Amino acid sequence: MKERIGVYICHCGGNISDYVDVEELGRMFHKEDGVVVSKDVMFACADSNQKEMIEDIKNFNLDAIVVASCSPKLHLHTFRNVASRGGLNPNNYVQVNVREQCSWPHSDNPREATVKAAGLIRAGIKRVAHSQALDNIELTVKKSALVVGAGVSGMKAAIDLARTGNEVYLVEKDFFVGGHIVQQETLFTTGENSKEIVSKLFKEIKSYRNITLFTGATIEKVSGSLGNFHIDIKIRPRYINTKADYDLVVKALNECPVYVEDEFNLGLKKRGAIYKNYPDAMPNIPAVNLEVLQSSPEAMLQYANIIDLNQQEELLSFIVGGVLVTTGFDSYIPNSGEYGYKSSPYVLTLPEFNRLTELSSNKLVFQNREIKSVAYIYCVGSRQSKGENRYCSRSCCTSAIFSSLNIKEKYKDITSYHLYRDIRTYGKQEILYEKSSNLGDIYIKFEEKEPPVVEYNGKTNVIKVKDYLSAKMELEIEADMVVLVTGMVSRKESVQISEKFKIPIGSDRFFNEIHPKLKPVETVIKGVYIGGCCQGPKNISESVQSSLSAAAKINALLKSGTISIDPVIAVIDENVCTWCGKCEKVCDYTAIKEIDKDGKRVALVNRAICTGCGICAPVCPVNAIEIAQYTDLEIESMIDGFIQKIEMEVKEETTEVQQESESAKMKEYPQLWKDIIQNIGESKKTIPQLSEELTCKSEIVTYNLMTMNKYGIITADGMDEDEAYYYYKVKNR
Amino acid sequence: MGWMKMKLTTITKLKIVKMARVNPKFSAEIKKYGADDFNACFNCGTCTATCSLSDEKSSFPREMVRYSALGLESEITSSLKPWQCYYCGECSTDCPRKANPGELMMSLRRWLTAKYDWTGLSAILYKSFASLLIFMVIVAVGVIAVAFAKDFNLNEIIHFGHYFEMYAIAGVFATILLPNIIRMWYFTVIKPGKKVPFKRYISSMADLFLHMFTQKRALGCDDNQTRWFAHFVLVIGYLTLLFTTVFLDWFSSESMFVVVLGYVVSAVVFVVTLLFVMSRIKQKTEVTKHSRPSDWMFVAWLFLMGVTAFAVRLFIDLEILESNLWLYLFHLIILAQWALIIVPFGKWTHFLYRSFAIYFEKLLEGKK
Repeated sequence: MKERIGVYICHCGGNISDYVDVEELGRMFHKEDGVVVSKDVMFACADSNQKEMIEDIKNFNLDAIVVASCSPKLHLHTFRNVASRGGLNPNNYVQVNVREQCSWPHSDNPREATVKAAGLIRAGIKRVAHSQALDNIELTVKKSALVVGAGVSGMKAAIDLARTGNEVYLVEKDFFVGGHIVQQETLFTTGENSKEIVSKLFKEIKSYRNITLFTGATIEKVSGSLGNFHIDIKIRPRYINTKADYDLVVKALNECPVYVEDEFNLGLKKRGAIYKNYPDAMPNIPAVNLEVLQSSPEAMLQYANIIDLNQQEELLSFIVGGVLVTTGFDSYIPNSGEYGYKSSPYVLTLPEFNRLTELSSNKLVFQNREIKSVAYIYCVGSRQSKGENRYCSRSCCTSAIFSSLNIKEKYKDITSYHLYRDIRTYGKQEILYEKSSNLGDIYIKFEEKEPPVVEYNGKTNVIKVKDYLSAKMELEIEADMVVLVTGMVSRKESVQISEKFKIPIGSDRFFNEIHPKLKPVETVIKGVYIGGCCQGPKNISESVQSSLSAAAKINALLKSGTISIDPVIAVIDENVCTWCGKCEKVCDYTAIKEIDKDGKRVALVNRAICTGCGICAPVCPVNAIEIAQYTDLEIESMIDGFIQKIEMEVKEETTEVQQESESAKMKEYPQLWKDIIQNIGESKKTIPQLSEELTCKSEIVTYNLMTMNKYGIITADGMDEDEAYYYYKVKNR
Repeated sequence: MGWMKMKLTTITKLKIVKMARVNPKFSAEIKKYGADDFNACFNCGTCTATCSLSDEKSSFPREMVRYSALGLESEITSSLKPWQCYYCGECSTDCPRKANPGELMMSLRRWLTAKYDWTGLSAILYKSFASLLIFMVIVAVGVIAVAFAKDFNLNEIIHFGHYFEMYAIAGVFATILLPNIIRMWYFTVIKPGKKVPFKRYISSMADLFLHMFTQKRALGCDDNQTRWFAHFVLVIGYLTLLFTTVFLDWFSSESMFVVVLGYVVSAVVFVVTLLFVMSRIKQKTEVTKHSRPSDWMFVAWLFLMGVTAFAVRLFIDLEILESNLWLYLFHLIILAQWALIIVPFGKWTHFLYRSFAIYFEKLLEGKK
């Protein structure tokens, strides 16, 4: 209980004192219990005043202070700082907002504004009286980071984290790094070779001793919190004998007679059971699909010397200070029959088509037919106003146009039709659209409610579409190949990832950041960051931008070594707690765990994770949970303070003072103002009327009326019949 | 009466759904007629908005650009809109994608000219400059052959020239121009299934001749008065020259009036065409920037006709034509090439198609 409290009430240079009688309030709280000093000050935030407050704290031996001024958003830290400098705990300070909550909103009723301010200040005094000296929570941070997913975003972020001297664990589910980008031959807009980019990044990763790359690895368990995450991973074996002759391994890679569906090439061809995604895939060790290979005993025998059956799944654990999730996306797979997918021949998705064009050499051939014309249907699986994926996938327009330009260049004489809803080749990507259109690609606009219909007539695909650029004329297009320009969807594994790291998932099923503009890579879980397409559709540049910004955030976190967290968190009274588990259930951050305390089961709050949201306090049946700085005692005493009757002798006085001051002010008014007020009287008049009756130039009347209006002496009241001039009347009569 | 009203509305609501086949090859075809950049169009409609002749009733050029990009040949063939454009070039100046809609409209007029022509020769001559040259040479050789047959006797050749002119006009009109106009009528009025009462064919006739001789509508283009006036003077001059030489037999006439009239109108023709040639060389306006062989040929041959006719009559008056037979032969070659190639298969036909387009438009107006 604080008994030597200082109260400072700010004029804010008139912002508050024009309507709230701060001088009277200053006098009034002198008499308040526990208040030693009570003053009104012109600007509480001014340097001189801050010094005065610090001296007061020392001279009067104050143990808590209250400043009634503006919003705490503006100056909470200023005055906490003042308290610290005066030798107080910063949490023994309470700010009362009498500007945004009293003087500004109630400028029409100064007396009530003053009464309200008095109530709020008293509540503040009561609260500060029960305030506790709390210290920020200091945590040590482990100087290592986990990056989940070795696509372009994850690899680039890992390199940046390692370059700044952090230990990095890069975990990739696949046996080879690179993610989605290597499934395209070249990348827009510059036409760089995707595989070269990935090989370069891999080489760079290898050059850092502080990056540990795990391929074929998945996250098994995550515990701990900000600064000290305990990560368990599982590494699947490749079954290649690391001591085997490399030439034999290459031979097996090229000649393996047991075939299996090629996932990397999206089912367009088969691959051997001893495989790499593509010849230069990194790390340069093939993987073995053992189940399939074992179905052929001859093959097993043939490759016995390069296959190591003793390899087992490996479990590993390590501790990291921060986590970056860059798990990427899945391509949308159309439903069977959606635009003829799987129901008509010669209908592929854009990723499949990109694989096809890369695998084809000098002729573009699919299922024994040479492809001469391609119709691209856009927005497949994106922008579904009635479906699940309501978002735009951002990269597919450019991707489709880029592919169409590439195949035009590679195979010549290819006709491209683009059936689109809107072309969104934003930024520099617009140049590709212009190029394609200049090359004679035909663009046809359809609307979602009237989508194109793909039919196979036995010879070729015929697409019927209503062209919104030709007055909805029904058009028929013959195309050898229909390419569905599919968008991005959240990875199917993202639910498991989300469960492990507690990252919230949005309605679009991608991971959610805290704030799309101001905290774009942070999640509500402290220390867990997201980058790239796991957060939502992005192109490669945008993905890398976001993952690098997350890497910078993590680096700042790790570099600090310790972090200081606001002490506003849930506090358990272990004597009262009987562990029912209700608090654990409602906690969105999994900050509450059951522990054994001297043989008693009680709740424990992880101070690093708790955000002080307060959701656990009301569900506790025995009232064992308090939120620091918002304890029941503090809040109840605030309410008590606020509802206590304001003994304001000034009640009558203020009105008198006001009236007095008004007549006093009146004396100071210019003669013209007095004339105007007298002339208007109880009626209302327009500027020309006043100008005529006062025989005064209308400009002068106008100028003075404007000023009087600004000072609230007169006010506009409707317009004249011609709606040419406002009527003015005298205010507050 | 209520049920009748209802029935009528249901009938009008019945819309015949027309399937149009997209033809990507059309782009390449139309490019042979001069259009080049129209594929760049992204359908903003600035061209239509900026065009001073386009209105709600008849909106262009965006629609034609769209049809061309999609290769909807039958829509273009049945459209009169290309003829409604008088090429002020504003659309091309304002186009944000530099898709040059003005030149596309010009190319569509060339393409339509070829389309209307039943012989198919127009198409060959428009697309291949080499074949145009070959035909020109054949006609020139023909004229020299005739002169040879007449033993290079001046009077006989002049006599032949005079009759050739008459028969050529009648022949070309009967065998080429008339059938082609009938084809145009078929493509734009009959084939789209529009029924026009016979009375309207008569009542709309006045517009046909008004526009044929005045090109009145071109005045609707912004800042086009000077160009329209020059064109008007040329048309009247050319027609008067034609009348003077064919029906008043200028070269043989003794009448002072006829002789002077001939001098004046031939001078008008070559002076105005010279101005046109100069402007095409300077390329200061949108319309003169993109000259095709057919455009050059048209103005150049008109100029040569005016100059040579003037010179021939001058030589007659100076009595030195006898010793300068080559001049008349040259004139006759120009005349023959004009009458046998440029008039039936070249740019000359726009004189007819433009005015007939307005006439057909008038016929269809009631149907809209």
